[in-house]
Amino acid sequence: MPDSNGQPPSGPPEAGLSRRSFLRTSALLTTGLAALAASLKPLMDMNDFPTAERFMQKYYKELTPPEMEKVLKRIENDVEREYGIRPHVRDLKPMEGVQFVYCLNLTRCIGCRKCVHACVAENNQSRTPEIQYIRVLRLPHGSLDIEKAEHNYAPESVPEKGYFYMPVQCQQCQNPPCVKVCPVHATWQETDGITVIDYDWCIGCRYCEAACPYWARRFNFTKPSVPKERINPEMAYLGNRPRRQGVMEKCHFCIQRTRAGRYPACLEVCPAGARKFGNILDPNSEVSYILKNKRVFIQLKEELGTSPRFFYYFDV
Amino acid sequence: MNEPAKTRATLTVLAVLLAVLAAVFLSDQRGRPAAVRHPIALADTNFLDTATVRRSYADLTRAKEDLSDFDCYSCHEKGKPPPLRLDTNQAIIVAKEHADIVMGHGRHGRNNNCFNCHNENNLELLQTRDGRELKFSNSTPLCGSCHGPTLRDWEAGAHGRPSGYWDANLGAQTRKDCVNCHNPHSPKFPSRKPAPGPHPLRPPAAAPATAATVQATHPSYA
Repeated sequence: MPDSNGQPPSGPPEAGLSRRSFLRTSALLTTGLAALAASLKPLMDMNDFPTAERFMQKYYKELTPPEMEKVLKRIENDVEREYGIRPHVRDLKPMEGVQFVYCLNLTRCIGCRKCVHACVAENNQSRTPEIQYIRVLRLPHGSLDIEKAEHNYAPESVPEKGYFYMPVQCQQCQNPPCVKVCPVHATWQETDGITVIDYDWCIGCRYCEAACPYWARRFNFTKPSVPKERINPEMAYLGNRPRRQGVMEKCHFCIQRTRAGRYPACLEVCPAGARKFGNILDPNSEVSYILKNKRVFIQLKEELGTSPRFFYYFDV
Repeated sequence: MNEPAKTRATLTVLAVLLAVLAAVFLSDQRGRPAAVRHPIALADTNFLDTATVRRSYADLTRAKEDLSDFDCYSCHEKGKPPPLRLDTNQAIIVAKEHADIVMGHGRHGRNNNCFNCHNENNLELLQTRDGRELKFSNSTPLCGSCHGPTLRDWEAGAHGRPSGYWDANLGAQTRKDCVNCHNPHSPKFPSRKPAPGPHPLRPPAAAPATAATVQATHPSYA
């Protein structure tokens, strides 16, 4: 028989809330909230949420000309909002009857690295962290062993006695391994031989970076930082328009210049005239002359069968 | 204190505690600095300059600059070839008025005669070995009279640095002359200070990089 004025009966109290279940629930809740907040933490650092327009954008090859117009406008607005400068963004198509080839004269290169910095300036590459498409290797005379190469050389003046210099950048392979591994077709080879990247389609898996035997591809681990006053406003969709965090980039033979008939920036800044660029299908171009008459001795790592469009040669 | 009151008190305390915890957590997240980035200084704009290492006589004329260095007969006398003086090693003694000239054309002092290229009878002209007279503004055929294969390469665009447009249909291409890059008196291409190399992932010293240490380790950064 229950005691009328004694202890309350053991069992669930009113409202069905026991201390134990309350503590358990609140502990779970706290842990859950903390985990949620921690998982959302990267979002707080993120400052370029994709706009609906960018998020819904179609694949480059599926864009119709009017859609492309809109996309270019959108990019121009984005750049203007961020950098305070109105760029001129174009979608330049490959030219008919043109195959680009690059030749580099190892006899002439003095290793001054002007090409590296001209490239950075032309292509709006990130300064902090530093992204550079060209690496100048210093090799001892009498060897082509890349294992002996040094790219952090810093003498008072170049060229140094006993060394030669070999700038390496994207070799624009005819058989590009980077294109084969891309799971989303965000990188492909165009008819003029340039391997391009659609920065709005890249998912940042970095497979291409791993596949490239030339270390030519660069990844934007953080949001690239380019000073406003150094922005190059002459841009191309597949070329030097500003990139986002989490996408790959690489040398594209200055698509914004070369598809408009101009020489690439690295060539125009070379004080030694070591760099040559042109259309291999034109028998009167410099590159045709060089490949016919000069000692063109390598395509870098030619045993890999990538068949680069980038040739190293010697005078004589 | 009876049981329901106790429960309410515990609930309130816990709720306040949780709210404070959440607030602290969020504010800490927001206030925590992002990964520390040491700014990499910008490259000196000199390294972006597309100018050639020298300016030719033709460039100076076009820019209407001071050409008094080329006014030979303000010092020399017309119709009187200046004498050449050689030392015991048959190397030419450069007159002190021409002290800026370094005679370094050709190995072993083989090309040590001013009048191999200059015309002794008219100092404002150049001459080739086969007797052609050329103006200072047109020195390329003179160089080519000895350096035939190089001239052939230059004409094909394979020597030197064409700039502008690779496609002649879309724009003009400019060619640089020999003397835009080579000093005719010592034509070996001059050495120069290299631009800074790739930035190391971490600053070389144990101390975090400051603007001052970046300057010190990369003095060429502007």
